[in-house]
Amino acid sequence: MIIALIIIGFIFLIGIFFYNSLIGKKNQVTNAFSAIDVMLKKRFDLIPNLVEVVKQYTTYEQGTLTKIVELRSKAGSPNISNAEKADLDTQLSSSVKGLMVNIENYPDLKANTNFINLQTTWTESEEQIAAARRTYNASVTDYNNSIMMFPGSLFAGMLNFQAIAVLETAAEERKNISAKELFNN
Amino acid sequence: MSFDVANNVALQQVLATMEVERKRIAGTQTKGYIFIAAGILLCVIGFFVGFPIPGVIGGLIPLIYGGVLLFKINDSLTAYQNAYKTNVIGAALKFLDESLSINPYQGIEASEFMYTQLFTNEPDRYKTEDLVTGRADKTQFYFAEVHAEYKTVTQTKDGTRTEWHDIFKGIIFAADFNKKFNGVTIVRPKDFGAAFGAWFSKNLFSFGSNDVIQLENLDFDKTFVTYGSDQVESRYILTPAMMERILNLNHQTKYNISLSFIESRMYIAFPLNRNYFEAPVFKSLLSPETVNEDISTIKFMYDIVRELDLNTRIWGKE
Repeated sequence: MIIALIIIGFIFLIGIFFYNSLIGKKNQVTNAFSAIDVMLKKRFDLIPNLVEVVKQYTTYEQGTLTKIVELRSKAGSPNISNAEKADLDTQLSSSVKGLMVNIENYPDLKANTNFINLQTTWTESEEQIAAARRTYNASVTDYNNSIMMFPGSLFAGMLNFQAIAVLETAAEERKNISAKELFNN
Repeated sequence: MSFDVANNVALQQVLATMEVERKRIAGTQTKGYIFIAAGILLCVIGFFVGFPIPGVIGGLIPLIYGGVLLFKINDSLTAYQNAYKTNVIGAALKFLDESLSINPYQGIEASEFMYTQLFTNEPDRYKTEDLVTGRADKTQFYFAEVHAEYKTVTQTKDGTRTEWHDIFKGIIFAADFNKKFNGVTIVRPKDFGAAFGAWFSKNLFSFGSNDVIQLENLDFDKTFVTYGSDQVESRYILTPAMMERILNLNHQTKYNISLSFIESRMYIAFPLNRNYFEAPVFKSLLSPETVNEDISTIKFMYDIVRELDLNTRIWGKE
């Protein structure tokens, strides 16, 4: 009788342990996304300055600038899902990258200290967002593993925990940059 | 840039002058050792043939004379070894880069050694020497030889026995990192203990303020265990490219390296068997391999900055 009670108690404790670790991992995923969010906000805040500086030197990049501003305001709207936000950031990132390439044609702008500062902050934020995305993906993988593997899978079934998709890096980023494509644009 | 000892006229002249001194020291030392050996031999023979007292007296004279010879040459030996470090290694450093210099009497202090967080044991005996400082383009760096040991005292029948164990023996390299960060990231070789510790703190309970950072580079994760105070910041430092570069660097060394990133500085510990930058006594200075080994070590350290791409300063840190 006592042995049976001990065994039940033991199983119960293990159950609590796995349940807690599962919840911990789920919260970790939320936490990791909020880190991306913070970084994204930091980066979106750079946009108005960047646009201002570029505007002073060139009238030819209006199209790109308008697009960037549009994307930024979309990303700033309150009712937007995490996935959409990440997607907007990817689009924004590639537009700004395109803009930076074009700026090679404006030596005055390239030498402007404000612009240089913005450029370094931008690359810095790029790398920080990449780090935050990788952290998010690592937490998601950790969480997915634990809800798919036994005995975590039992709890996940009961609590209706679903696997979460990792953030993909945009297809165009994976490609090697081709000089031909750049100049044909 | 390759540094050719054999074709460097100035250095060859320095080496030729020092070679004379080396020969004198080597000669005296050989003589000293021969007298000591002869003294011991005389004592032993005295005992065997049944004249222990004349044997000891006869043996003591050459023994003392040999000792005096070694003692007297010791000052010249120290001067010669320091001249080697300053003149030969110093010249080789200047040739590689004007900013480089060596200080034989300085090193990395024990407090900084602990500050790197590369090692958990506090040293009981600590030696450091041969501090090399310099700058490779935009990146300031320094490195020094370090030998840190801890002791264990065990009770035996006849009292206590003290044993010394290495915490670390080798070169500690420090460089200004090209990104700003506030937390701590530590990369240690993955041996059994580290692997178990990492598993334990990830799955059961984590001691201290640093978490295990699971990185997506499988090779890197197999070779090292990474701890960090901030998951995002550690990944900001250890980008996919940086992980590849660290692995490359690790492939070039015999023993696995450890790294730490603290307050915008990076530390690398290279475990080594050999004592570097020591002038040879019984080997000619003029044979190229003597100096070349030291020079290739310096070159290796100098190249780390390029190898890890620390001169790319586009992340808001000059």
